[in-house]
Amino acid sequence: MATMADAATAQDAPLEIGGRSFHSRLLVGTGKYKDNATMVRALEASGAEIVTVAVRRISLDRTKEEGILYHLDPAHFFLLANTAGCYTAEDAMRYARLAREAGFNDFIKLEVIGDQQTLLPDVAGLLEAAKALAREGFKVMAYTNDDLITALRLEDAGCAAVMPLASPIGSGLGLLNPFNIRTIKARLKVPVIVDAGVGTASDACATMEQGVDGILMNTALAEARDPVAMAHAMRLATEAGRAAYLAGRMPRREVAVPSSPTRGMLS
Amino acid sequence: MIATLPRLHAVTDDRVVGAGRVVQRAAAMAAAAGAALAVHVRTRTLEGTALLDLARRVKDAIAPHGSWLVVNDRADVARAAGAQAIVTGRSGLGVRDVRRVAPGIPVARSVHDAASARAAAAEEADFLLAGAVFETPSHPHAPAGGPDLVRAAAGDGGARQVIAIGGMTTANARGIIEAGAWGVAAIRALWDAPDPAQAARAFLAALPVTRTVALVVNGESRAVSEGTTLAGLLAQLGLDPRAVVVEHNRRIVRRDALGEVRLAAGDAVELIHFVGGG
Repeated sequence: MATMADAATAQDAPLEIGGRSFHSRLLVGTGKYKDNATMVRALEASGAEIVTVAVRRISLDRTKEEGILYHLDPAHFFLLANTAGCYTAEDAMRYARLAREAGFNDFIKLEVIGDQQTLLPDVAGLLEAAKALAREGFKVMAYTNDDLITALRLEDAGCAAVMPLASPIGSGLGLLNPFNIRTIKARLKVPVIVDAGVGTASDACATMEQGVDGILMNTALAEARDPVAMAHAMRLATEAGRAAYLAGRMPRREVAVPSSPTRGMLS
Repeated sequence: MIATLPRLHAVTDDRVVGAGRVVQRAAAMAAAAGAALAVHVRTRTLEGTALLDLARRVKDAIAPHGSWLVVNDRADVARAAGAQAIVTGRSGLGVRDVRRVAPGIPVARSVHDAASARAAAAEEADFLLAGAVFETPSHPHAPAGGPDLVRAAAGDGGARQVIAIGGMTTANARGIIEAGAWGVAAIRALWDAPDPAQAARAFLAALPVTRTVALVVNGESRAVSEGTTLAGLLAQLGLDPRAVVVEHNRRIVRRDALGEVRLAAGDAVELIHFVGGG
């Protein structure tokens, strides 16, 4: 559909990560949907090019149903494998190598989780795995805290993108610390993709207004009452937030300034 | 693969059943061969009730020794008799339909060349009866496939579990096992022997030891026959190598090398694919 957002994004540069170029700044996950048909329709409605997948054991009883590639056309989407569920650098590296062997690309969304309750990252393990994988030629996109110093270290480690969280995975709490996200974006040269925590369209829009390069979400779509309609909303919100950032917002003031002329009033 | 599948199969036919004393001869062989023996009840001369009665009497006679009852073609009779396996013939029901009638019982398919073996594997038959391997009076006009037939039926890297049938004797059994068969099936060489128990013992003595290898695949214990490769394991599991990433003892094995890696006892295999995730 031709929206105002399309007109604005047409002037935007493509999103470049690890030498690849993407037009959509919205990245989406494929987990937790109530069925695969809904997932596929939501992905289409989101306009996302990059979709994340997880690496898991094949179930030896009923293999043909649960593999995501029976539902997703890998020629149509850029598959970004994650290391979700890994709690050590060693595990995350093992999962990353298995994912690369599937033969689609050498990108990995690196997660090293430090705590089961919050799913917050273990930044020591994350840095260790990021360094090793970057050396092995991986294009590492590292899921991390909204912490500038860790983000800088990840960039130094050779990450292709740094992915600070808006709020904890699956929480839907939205963007908790816009200042931290802006700070990270201002200091890094590699793309900054905010990953995790958005709940609804205004969260996505506010996140993109900070000037980040993209946003990744899963639960906000999968757990919406209507995931396909929410995917559409998130697409518009991502484009709107990006367009507003590019447009440059007016300054904030503590006093009112009239919008109508003060001169020419009746005496 | 069925690690407990017997390696010696005493198969009946109309002539053997017509000659009588099937239960007594089966009991004698079972006493001699125990869990290494399967007795196949196979005849077109008996209808439902009479066939079920025979199958039950054979089962009662051999089960105490750990031998298997296998019923051919009649899935209903197999289920009612408590058979351990069913063989469906070339023109018999498909494997899936047999499973519908008799859920939970292993199903074997009779095959006669590589193409029918592949077709049987595609319909997920648990094991294959491949014949005729040698010329046999029971099928005088069937061409004998020899060890090549066994090799073709078993597939590369031991993908399929094969019992060889047709003209099997104690003299030719070894070569057939070496060609990749799990075991052998015989009619005359067992049932027509003056002492069937002694014949069964002689057959087992003639079979070279086939060891099974215990593995852990995706965290579950499994067994394969010695010599099975990773490619053979995937084929047994009905997995397309293009849709799987294989890790063997923590090392990733590339697709083109799957046929070269033979599995050894205690190996850990992980079979990985992509699922939905965030």
